[in-house]
Amino acid sequence: MNGSHRLAQVPPGVQCFVGEQARRRRRIEETVVSVFEGWDYEEIIPPLFDYADVFTGEALAPKTYSFVGRDGSVLALRPDFTSLIAKIAAGRLRDRPAPLRLYYSGEVVRYEPVAAGRQSELYQMGLEHLGGDARAADAEVLAIAAECLERLGVEGFVLALGHVGVFSGLVASAGFAGEALRALRDAVEAKDAAGVRNALAGAAVAPDVAAALERLTSLAGGRETIEEAAHALAFCAPAALAVAELRTVVDALDAAGLGGHVAVDLGEVRGLDYYTGLVFRVFAPGLGFEAGSGGRYDTLVARFGRPLPAVGFMLGLDRVALLLERRGGTAAQPPEPAERIAVGALGEALAAARGRRARGVRVRFGNGDAR
Amino acid sequence: VSLTIALSKGKLLAGSEALFRRAGLPFPDGEGRKLVVEAGALRFLFVKDLDVPTYVEHGVADCGIAGRDVLLETGADVLEPLDLGFGRCRVVVARPAGRAAAEDRAAPMRVASKYVTLTAAHFQGRGLGVEVVRLAGSVEIAPGLGLADCIVDVVETGRTLAANGLEVTETVAESSARLIVNRASFHARSAELGRLVETLRRAAA
Repeated sequence: MNGSHRLAQVPPGVQCFVGEQARRRRRIEETVVSVFEGWDYEEIIPPLFDYADVFTGEALAPKTYSFVGRDGSVLALRPDFTSLIAKIAAGRLRDRPAPLRLYYSGEVVRYEPVAAGRQSELYQMGLEHLGGDARAADAEVLAIAAECLERLGVEGFVLALGHVGVFSGLVASAGFAGEALRALRDAVEAKDAAGVRNALAGAAVAPDVAAALERLTSLAGGRETIEEAAHALAFCAPAALAVAELRTVVDALDAAGLGGHVAVDLGEVRGLDYYTGLVFRVFAPGLGFEAGSGGRYDTLVARFGRPLPAVGFMLGLDRVALLLERRGGTAAQPPEPAERIAVGALGEALAAARGRRARGVRVRFGNGDAR
Repeated sequence: VSLTIALSKGKLLAGSEALFRRAGLPFPDGEGRKLVVEAGALRFLFVKDLDVPTYVEHGVADCGIAGRDVLLETGADVLEPLDLGFGRCRVVVARPAGRAAAEDRAAPMRVASKYVTLTAAHFQGRGLGVEVVRLAGSVEIAPGLGLADCIVDVVETGRTLAANGLEVTETVAESSARLIVNRASFHARSAELGRLVETLRRAAA
């Protein structure tokens, strides 16, 4: 292997950033964090690992690195922040009155097959809004997401909004479960109308429900999609309620001047298993993947013993960095060159360096490392 | 250039070209071996069929045409708004005619395929652990030469299988050509993509 030392190899899925790259990442993080703090969110630094059963759910379980602790308990490296923060809100912070506004910035670790072309170590910047008025919180979180992208200089970004309640309302009345439900969800998620028809073939589903499920694959677009959906789903009370919730949020974003960045996508039914309401993904031209995502999870915190509806979102630092790099113009200011402190008598030089440092001057200490 | 489209250089090429011409959309005219070609407002990428979902998933292409078989194998996270109706085939398990079912033998069953993910998932789903041998082509000859007990491969007419003394024992998946769309492009370039999808939908009907 090019004569490199065996121990110098890196395992698949991890990355290291040096100097200018690291500075660019920090700058993105600082920008995003300043927006979070501007909306009065408090930082939370959760543990790197916790009991494995904190992180459950079909989507994350196969990607979680778990291990057996010295005392025999099963532990897991955090694959996700939201479950951890839900647990902390219900435990350590149980006496704090709602609403809680918390933000985090750090790595999560997920197992990814090499061929997937994804990193195992992902840097996420996100926040959770727990308790409080649900629609106000939904709208606030989306406005914060938009402000992050604006401050980062991302043009033409799209917040694609869906609502889990549309799909779950329709399937609840049809009595789907297990494998059949998964096949149906996958087809809706892929906007595969033929696949939805296949998944429904042979099932005893009312014709209006079947038609509505197929319709979900094409209920995507601008503001007008809400009206179409309200009309198409009026027969199913839970789905109609979900559309009404979405309408409130979309109207608020419109009124706040963000209408041009909002898309409605009722085929957006994926997501981590804990989402119960609004779900959204952040897209931007020039990036083939979502830059971030979020949603409402009204039952997750209750799992840990405190009934507290919540909504949150996160931006992937790696995705944002890639996006900004592709658009150019991200070079961070190179730092001023440091003052050189040559070493003759070591003690004297060190004293001189400390003197300069006390005045806040950046120094480069020592000889022979001229660049 | 408004949109980038990834197409297979392989068996779906003729059907894709016919569809584009029927739809009145631009299509590159015989530019030989060029793999990236612009025609009208469209840019075409000609890649291997297994790579079409990759280009679309990563957003290098906004959309593409890929077989359902390939989508199942790669597991690409893309939108699949249209079944285009051509390129129909089945992915099947086939084994030498008259040979005892490999499940009944004392040794683990060995299956040759280029669809390794789909093959493993299919047999695991039936509670059978099998050894999957990855081949890039000419899969039909593997059982006769003793490399595998059976194969998982795509079949259109069944003639190739028969010529190699194989018979189909079960169907793993039905396939046809699908229009696939990148998730980000779907929203970030919704106007152009919406028009393209509608044009193709009418031409495919």
